[in-house]
Amino acid sequence: MHATVGLPRSLLFHKYHVLWETFFGALDVETVTSPQSNRAILARGIELAVDETCVPVKLFLGHVDALRDKADYILVPRIVTLAKDETACVKFLGAYDVARNSVPGIRLLEYNVDVKNGIRQRPELCRVGETFEPNRRKVRRAYDHAASEHLRYTARLDEQQEEVLARPGMKVLVVGHAYNLYDEMLGKPIVDFLGKNGVEVVSSEFHDTAKARTLAKLVSKDIPWTYNKELLGALESYRERVDGIIFLVTFPCGPDSLMTELCMRRVKGTPSIMLVLDELQSEAGLRTRLESFIDLIEAGKRRAAVDGAR
Amino acid sequence: MSTQLPASRPFKVSFPHMGNYSIPVRLLAEQLECEIVLPPKMTRRTLEVGARHSPEFVCIPFKYNLGNYIEALEKGANLLIQAGGGCRFGYYGEVQEAILRDLGYDFGMVRLLGGWKLRDHIGDFKRVNPRLTMLRALKAYKLALRQTQALDRIEDYVRRNAGFEVQDGAFEEVHEAFLGELDTARDMRTMAEIESRYLGELEAIPTERPDDLLRIGIVGELYVLMEPFSNLFVEKELAKRGVEVHRFVTVSNMVEHSGRKHTAHLDELIAKSGDYVRYHLGADGTESVSMTYQLMQQGFDGVLHLKPFGCMPEVNAMASLQRLSREHTFPILFISYDAQTSETGLKTRLDAFCDMLRMRKQRPGDAAMADGAETLAPGAERSTA
Repeated sequence: MHATVGLPRSLLFHKYHVLWETFFGALDVETVTSPQSNRAILARGIELAVDETCVPVKLFLGHVDALRDKADYILVPRIVTLAKDETACVKFLGAYDVARNSVPGIRLLEYNVDVKNGIRQRPELCRVGETFEPNRRKVRRAYDHAASEHLRYTARLDEQQEEVLARPGMKVLVVGHAYNLYDEMLGKPIVDFLGKNGVEVVSSEFHDTAKARTLAKLVSKDIPWTYNKELLGALESYRERVDGIIFLVTFPCGPDSLMTELCMRRVKGTPSIMLVLDELQSEAGLRTRLESFIDLIEAGKRRAAVDGAR
Repeated sequence: MSTQLPASRPFKVSFPHMGNYSIPVRLLAEQLECEIVLPPKMTRRTLEVGARHSPEFVCIPFKYNLGNYIEALEKGANLLIQAGGGCRFGYYGEVQEAILRDLGYDFGMVRLLGGWKLRDHIGDFKRVNPRLTMLRALKAYKLALRQTQALDRIEDYVRRNAGFEVQDGAFEEVHEAFLGELDTARDMRTMAEIESRYLGELEAIPTERPDDLLRIGIVGELYVLMEPFSNLFVEKELAKRGVEVHRFVTVSNMVEHSGRKHTAHLDELIAKSGDYVRYHLGADGTESVSMTYQLMQQGFDGVLHLKPFGCMPEVNAMASLQRLSREHTFPILFISYDAQTSETGLKTRLDAFCDMLRMRKQRPGDAAMADGAETLAPGAERSTA
């Protein structure tokens, strides 16, 4: 008997997929990932979700539903705190209960991370592993292996980012959560469009979390959300080395609306725009804004070159 | 600790409104020994100026708070207080301060972060008033808490009974007089005396309670629950329709379940949620679901769920509530507030909701029940489709 675990390609998948895939792989559990976001998944998510839910959670519910008959279990983590004095966005607190109450006919596997209250990822994910493998030592070994693979993977991403930053040409930093940036329906069209227009895209993925927390304080002293601290860390460490900044926000994200407001007021000197994505967006409108943003950066560069020549 | 004092002296302290809690907050602020400038009473303008300078889709309490600050600064205040709390509230202060500075105001701000523990905040207050001692602050805190309890008890009684007054405005008249007296009370005995005297006066008001009266519970996000202006006076509107209104989110209850007792309180709420919640949903979300489930079991006729547009903890709760409403055919009216919410729209929905509840009562077992619940809880039927 081989059990399968479904991984919805949404929310934290884009941060932890290496961890999850390696962990279950080491336990001989097959993982099934939902397809890239598409219109049908989004439409189903909109149908299942409360109207005012943010777009990423609507997509999440669509992805969970897409796995309904494809896997024995569907993995949905519940993340509350990853460190003291900070918290994850509230949607990660509720993701498990929201999926359970919104999508009929599914079996969920959940793990709960609440470091502030002493609930850590390792024992929680190991508990999930014990559903499939009675040998506890084997499960713990699988976790440790997966955790180190995850670290290796994120370190490589950071290195790649440095390579992009070292290249010549126009560079734009896109500040947005991984689940927006890498989603086929949300961030991907924007990243692709920038690439096609000869712009190097620097993502706000920043995996040195300790450094991110320190850097984040330079922009915002009080910001409580873990993943937003990482965005601010990226912003602080890359912004002098890019030509423009795009804040990518999904409607109606609370943390991002406050964070972006503060960033737009405090980060001066680099051209920046805020793009708000919703489920009704038109690509034409986005393109026009991106094109004019690129024009604006180019004009600024030309002016700087002329001034420099004088 | 996060305090920046204004350049100009003397200090003139102000803080945002929330219901009638400016009464106990004023008592606390008096310990700072400086002039207190209450923001003007909330009007449409408060919301307009607040919304104009706020991020577009930030939740509405932010916009009201900012409107209060701007109107207080216009009145001469120069030291603003922002209390922390769960969820986005904890982050309001820093962003509001940046917005107000960009608008060119000269002011200081005390941002209270990380919960309600007096010990953590005394340092902030001492910078404003060096003569303040822990003992004195503690005494003031206890007094303010007593004042809050008196306020909550009286207002709870008003909520439950004002719908049945024989003479229009009788309850409001006593309530107003009570607020005036409570505002001047500065010792425990006076507060207790005022509370019991006014409770007696309220009980003496003649009422007519019909046999088939409606009992409705109100749950949801704390600010729109406790600031009547922001919820378009929904409790008064219900009273006008002859409803006994129950609400459980009050500052007294929040204080009672804060600090060390918080986790136990959440566990209890989850245990009594009928398995509609297994993990805490954030802020007031768990309480909204659990209280709704408990009220349903207690035979309430329906529940109103209020939240600011986009409030994520309550959106989380709605997933559970919609399923509960569907599975038990229990009527829940969901109301979202943003800067555009219209009073007329609200009144129409309340009329329809109350009519539907009355129909259910008169003709039990009628198919109209299920239909009513469905139309009033849009989306509730969707996941079975």
